[in-house]
Amino acid sequence: MRTFSVLFYYEWRHFRAARGLVLLTGLLLLVGGYGIYYGTTEIGRQRRHLAELPALARRHAAELQAKFPGPADAGEIGYYHHTFAVHRPTPWAGLALGQRDVHPYYLQLRLLGLQGQLYATENVNPTKALSGNFDLAFVLVYLLPLYVIALCFNLLSEEREQGILPLLLAQPVRAGQLVAAKLAFRGALVLGLALGLSAAGLAWARVPLDGRVALWLALVGLYGGFWLGVGLLVAAWQRSSSFNAVVLLGAWLLLLVLVPGLLNVYVAAARPVPQGLALTVQQREAIHGGWDRPKSETMARFYAAYPQWRDTAAIRERFAWRWYYAFQYLGDQSAAPLAGAYAGGLRQRHALGAGLGWLSPAVALQTSLHALAGTDLPAHLAFQHSATRYHDALRAFYYPFLFRQVPFTHADYARLPRHTFTSPTDTGGARAGLWQLLLGVGAVGAAGGLALRRPIRPR
Amino acid sequence: MVTSIAQKEFVSIRRDRRFVVLGALVLALLLAATLVGRRAAAAAQQARAAAQHMVNEQFRHQPGRHPHRVAHYGSFAFRPVAGLGFLDAGLNAYTGTAVYLEAHQQNSVNFSPAQQAGALLRFGELTVAFVLQTLVPLLLIFLCFGAFTEEREAGTLPLLLSQGVTMRQLAWGKIVGYGRAAALVVGPALALAAWLLAAGAGAGAGPLALAGRLAMFALSYAVYFFVVIAGAVLVSAGQRHSRTALVLLLGAWMVGCLVLPKATANLGAALHPGPTKAQLDAAVHEQAQHGLNGHDPQDRRAAALKDSLLRRYGVATEKELPVSVAGLTMAAGEAYSSRVYQRHFAALTRTYERQNALSAWAGLLNPYQAIRPLSMGLAGSDFAHYVHFQQAAEAYRYQLVQRLNALQAGMGYGDKERRLGAATWRAIPPFAYQAPGLGWALGHLLGPALALLLWAGALGWLGLRRLDKMKM
Repeated sequence: MRTFSVLFYYEWRHFRAARGLVLLTGLLLLVGGYGIYYGTTEIGRQRRHLAELPALARRHAAELQAKFPGPADAGEIGYYHHTFAVHRPTPWAGLALGQRDVHPYYLQLRLLGLQGQLYATENVNPTKALSGNFDLAFVLVYLLPLYVIALCFNLLSEEREQGILPLLLAQPVRAGQLVAAKLAFRGALVLGLALGLSAAGLAWARVPLDGRVALWLALVGLYGGFWLGVGLLVAAWQRSSSFNAVVLLGAWLLLLVLVPGLLNVYVAAARPVPQGLALTVQQREAIHGGWDRPKSETMARFYAAYPQWRDTAAIRERFAWRWYYAFQYLGDQSAAPLAGAYAGGLRQRHALGAGLGWLSPAVALQTSLHALAGTDLPAHLAFQHSATRYHDALRAFYYPFLFRQVPFTHADYARLPRHTFTSPTDTGGARAGLWQLLLGVGAVGAAGGLALRRPIRPR
Repeated sequence: MVTSIAQKEFVSIRRDRRFVVLGALVLALLLAATLVGRRAAAAAQQARAAAQHMVNEQFRHQPGRHPHRVAHYGSFAFRPVAGLGFLDAGLNAYTGTAVYLEAHQQNSVNFSPAQQAGALLRFGELTVAFVLQTLVPLLLIFLCFGAFTEEREAGTLPLLLSQGVTMRQLAWGKIVGYGRAAALVVGPALALAAWLLAAGAGAGAGPLALAGRLAMFALSYAVYFFVVIAGAVLVSAGQRHSRTALVLLLGAWMVGCLVLPKATANLGAALHPGPTKAQLDAAVHEQAQHGLNGHDPQDRRAAALKDSLLRRYGVATEKELPVSVAGLTMAAGEAYSSRVYQRHFAALTRTYERQNALSAWAGLLNPYQAIRPLSMGLAGSDFAHYVHFQQAAEAYRYQLVQRLNALQAGMGYGDKERRLGAATWRAIPPFAYQAPGLGWALGHLLGPALALLLWAGALGWLGLRRLDKMKM
């Protein structure tokens, strides 16, 4: 044990003397700090924008109140008035922005057909979206392994190349002990950095202290452990430092670039979602066909879904708002199978990709962190589902005005239903990622242990 | 002299098993990316063309309707896949594919592939451009890092120099030799791309324009690879040990391909925040309602229009007018709100261009950030091309709605009670997008092209000149 601590201490002195590595460590800390800052400010900006929405809705209502000073036809109000469905981020979102930059985080809704409004896009600079987000998740997933590679590529091979290894092994030190001390030092450094950055990020983002904190730290720790295991495995091969660097970087490329890229191609081909374009076209056809169909036919189909309005006055006018909204509703109904297939297809796509996370720990970690932060595709689909229910509530609010022909007064604006939705955290998804990471750590650990059984060559 | 050095390098690279294996891997990846990219692009193009055809047919086969109903029925514009999109998908995954064109409002372009993909997409797409921009340089680094250091470590450098070769000649020879090896890896993939283009010609833009784009594409990458090879050889010449040269070059690769692009894009967006869709829509609505100057409300504009019509035709009431006031009011309103929208859209585009400017300037520091915009611009999948599509779709929307408004105006008083025959809709031309030509694209790519040439000039001329002054 004493030898171990001496070796460990000398690793520390060695590290302090290596200017490049100290610089790299500082750089990683700096970059991690920037990632935390960037991600949380980005989410802060989204929160600010969300907070402005009620004022926009109020201004819009005031404009309508000026336009209709007296009691108005609710049909007019439903046609013009925008309300907002808002998707609030979790405090975690700032650490792993995920897909929150390409999915809209609020929707402007009117009483019209929902399917024409549900897929509207937020203003996004596509060039920026392509470059991606510099958040803590990026630093952990992409840069942490590179740091491990920089620490581990000359583990043992440096001593061998400088001719120190024979001298070292001539001392009363077992080779296994030497490797263990070197690895333990690097492990302490890597895990200390990764967990320290995570803890700083969690504190800065003010996440609630619950089981998710432990889950995040466990995920990040295992990922760091995986890359240390890869470093050990390559060192156990006992080749030159240049060779090790190339192999380690090759592993990085394989797990962070090639495997995810190929998975992406595979998932897109295996689970095509052609319904997006089709459902928009379908719903427009159904809605506009409503103008040309006999009113009685439209109303009969509508009453089948809403029998409570069956006994209201028959429509004799050329135009009536309740007829108009009835065929808007029927337009959504006709697109519903396609919309359901679309959402289901997207969910399957995500599940297929997440299920293949064991092929690359990077995919497993990224998917898990996004699931934990509620910034992935399922979170957006849940928001869309919630927005759909909100639109149903709007309909339920307006229908009594329309069918009982109650005038819409200024006081009614305040009674309009409001919407809020906060991303769910998918701890189940994150736990699945944990198992995938454990599998990876186990695999490289076992392989590294086996490889180390070979005697260590001094030169 | 340079040729024989180049020949020696080329032969020894071909005999190096490691390079043969790595090179074959990259070549296989390139060929696979070309084929897969081609298939995916063709499938996407087919789906969008089919959708466009369907909505065009639906528009043509409308029954007799009032023109304003048709304006609300509207149409769709589906963004065609760019000609070389299968080589460089560029922004294709992050830009929408379909926009609904209707009266009174400009809708967002929806259904971007990124919205339909899980987080996997954010790891990057395995396109030809990706392999060329990031993986081939890595291969070249492995090839070149020992260019001088190995000679130095083996003690062959003084022997070479004693034969009367200058350092500069030696470096040129090595660059040419490595360049030939790079061509061996990249050439077949580009040839395959050219063959695929020639075989599938006739789809979209003219084959000649695409050939021009492909030629410029290949030329840009040739310059890029020269920059990478020359840079790596120069770093190798300046170092004593192969290991330090390798670590330095790999570090530069990571910073250049991984850290800087993301950091500059994020910083640019933070420096120039753009309006959200809700803010933009509210501003457009506000100005369309109350006038661009805030003192010209819509109802007053409409009343003034009606008065001027009555005066012009010398009649007292709307009933006697030969034109429909509603139709003309609608046309004037559309013209006004479109003007307002255009202003805001132009401002938004400018904001995004300002956000991207930081990355563009970084091209002077980082060749990767010069080739990336150049490549996607030539492929037709960059921001400028996307804006071009959006503007074309909006121009079509505007003329369609105004044409329908004019039809309504011509119907005279009481138009709401009447409909126009089904034949009317068949006479309206459908949306047909014409992607801009090579000249237009090049006009937007001067910056990155210049940055890349500057790199090539600086390394090829200044860098190599410094070699001769170097002490061995």
